[in-house]
Amino acid sequence: MKILVCVKQVPEPENAFIIDDSKEWIRPGTFSYRMNRFDESALEEALSIKDRYKAVGIDVISVGSENSKDVIRRAIGMGADAGIYIFHDPVGYVSPFLTASFIASYIKENNYDLIFAGAISEDSLQGQVGPLAAEMAGLPCVSFVVKQEISSDQKSMYVERELDGGLVEFFELALPALLTIQGGINKPRYPSLSNVLRASRAEIRTINSDLYTKSVPGQKNKQLTIPEKKREGYVLSGSVHEKAAELIRILSQKSFIA
Amino acid sequence: MGKMNKPGQKSIFIIAEHNENKVKPVLFELASCAYKIKKYCPAEIKVILLGNETEKLSSEITHVTGLDVVATEINELALFNPEIYKKVIEDLAAEFLPSFIIAGHTPRGLDVASGLAVRMKAACITGIESLGETEGKICFRRQIFYGKIDAHVTADSEPLIITVQPGAFEPFKPENAATGKVETRRVNYVPFFTHEKGIRRSIFQDSSISEAKVIVSAGNGIGEKENLDLVNRFAAVFPGSAVGGSRIIVDRGWLEYRQQIGLTGAQVAPELYIACGISGASQHLAGMRGSGFVVAINKDPKAAIFNESDVCVVEDINKFIPAFLEEYKKKEI
Ligand SMILES: Cc1cc2nc3c(=O)[nH]c(=O)nc-3n(C[C@H](O)[C@H](O)[C@H](O)COP(=O)(O)OP(=O)(O)OC[C@H]3O[C@@H](n4cnc5c(N)ncnc54)[C@H](O)[C@@H]3O)c2cc1C
Ligand SMILES: Nc1ncnc2c1ncn2[C@@H]1O[C@H](COP(=O)(O)O)[C@@H](O)[C@H]1O
Repeated sequence: MKILVCVKQVPEPENAFIIDDSKEWIRPGTFSYRMNRFDESALEEALSIKDRYKAVGIDVISVGSENSKDVIRRAIGMGADAGIYIFHDPVGYVSPFLTASFIASYIKENNYDLIFAGAISEDSLQGQVGPLAAEMAGLPCVSFVVKQEISSDQKSMYVERELDGGLVEFFELALPALLTIQGGINKPRYPSLSNVLRASRAEIRTINSDLYTKSVPGQKNKQLTIPEKKREGYVLSGSVHEKAAELIRILSQKSFIA
Repeated sequence: MGKMNKPGQKSIFIIAEHNENKVKPVLFELASCAYKIKKYCPAEIKVILLGNETEKLSSEITHVTGLDVVATEINELALFNPEIYKKVIEDLAAEFLPSFIIAGHTPRGLDVASGLAVRMKAACITGIESLGETEGKICFRRQIFYGKIDAHVTADSEPLIITVQPGAFEPFKPENAATGKVETRRVNYVPFFTHEKGIRRSIFQDSSISEAKVIVSAGNGIGEKENLDLVNRFAAVFPGSAVGGSRIIVDRGWLEYRQQIGLTGAQVAPELYIACGISGASQHLAGMRGSGFVVAINKDPKAAIFNESDVCVVEDINKFIPAFLEEYKKKEI
């Protein structure tokens, strides 16, 4: 059985994001990055299948700038077998349609029984790349999966997915299929020393996105802005003790503390 | 938006979700969104409903909103099946040529939206929170980069598919709406690949946190599980307080599910809400926006939570709480 996991590198929330002169995207910066948490959960889910059944191969794929290779190496460090990197590094915003079309093109050329993506990427919160790629590749898709089980003949699978409002919905799907995985459903393992060594030496297959036909993005950013303040937003100043004393004063005045 | 046609010729689809024979309340928020769009782009709003027992649901929708419903009865469909939804809505769209298709930014909404976009060669904008017009075009606002930036997104083509963040629009429930028309059709569709197997309530909502006067919430910024102890001691300062947390903390098992605040947790409105090391993602805000007074403590001065706070404390949470407790002790003596 062959599984493909889509992994995206996301900048950490603490980075400063500055709107660029075009106002359509942010200035490129030297950000600190990590693997999208939902993708860590997706990879962990794939690794758990590999732990259970023998003869499971896991590939990871990432689309983006050169440094997306870091997230691929991290995935190999966690236990994935091989990485595919699709080079696509234009200036500015990249529509999910483009990213999905590259992943779909790769899926169509290579046979996988199962494809996992994260439900959503933490930086862009679109929830689109998985379902788009599934549709483009003609695969059935269920999003926000929290539990999965492959049938003994490995031709179908049972999945549970989270709905809002504390409900869980069940499906049976024919394979091949694409699932998007809800974050936090498992405990993603840490890279192991032996796998990290393997990852550092691993040959990452690189494909230039120019080889694939590009789908039309459809939407674009007209403008980026800094969010409006919805409340007063009084910023406390001084040393940490001065701020603490000031907060105590404010909250006592409002009778929240005696 | 292309050229504006005469009123009455265009339509806007709203996709209804339902469970346990009830319409999901997000539908009424989608209706508000549709009305806002209608201001810029005159069109007839149609609620699209699919199921095998649609009569009661149709009647509820049209009585509450006054909107027209196009219901499709499908024997093979109880609640939801992405394959059937995509096929049936695609066919309805070929007939009614909607300019907009609006779904919830929910698992089901997302299953359908992107799939339809590919089939219909439509643009798709997800997780929108508001809309407006710039230079003759409708712009949809959505959060990016952890809520630190708003993107105003447009599309050049029709139809346009959007998903709307739950909680972003006021529910549309007019006082005395004239009842809309219900048109019911019947189709058969046996799905090939995806079979729905049922639904279960996984978590029983526990309302105890909703009753707290003060909620002190822990986020990923607390760093280590041990630091929860600090948060607990901090909360103990406030009479009638409870400890809550963001989803990340709950997913890790550091707090119980009943303590999760947000879209997929509890929706609370305490008199005082204190966010400790929480970034302010829209899914978290959806659970606490109604709070009376909001204090946020975060070491990042640009954290999105500060836009929703009355008092902003830019500090390391693990230094601030001990300082607060010391100062508080001094005061008590
Ligand atoms: C469908 C869906 C449903 C969801 N439902 C929910 C929900 O119900 N509730 C919910 O909370 N989330 C929910 N989420 C997740 C949500 O999108 C965010 O990922 C989550 O709220 C982030 O949690 P956080 O703010 O604790 O962590 P992060 O986003 O990691 O933020 C941590 C913050 O702590 C700050 N920080 C770091 N170190 C320190 C320090 N030492 N001192 C002070 N500050 C520090 C950082 O600057 C940062 O702002 C949902 C997501 C999806 C896709
Ligand atoms: N550039 C990318 N490379 C690989 N996978 C991606 C990329 N962008 C998004 N994905 C996958 O699609 C999921 C949803 O992303 P999004 O549609 O941006 O919310 C992510 O969790 C990833 O699994």
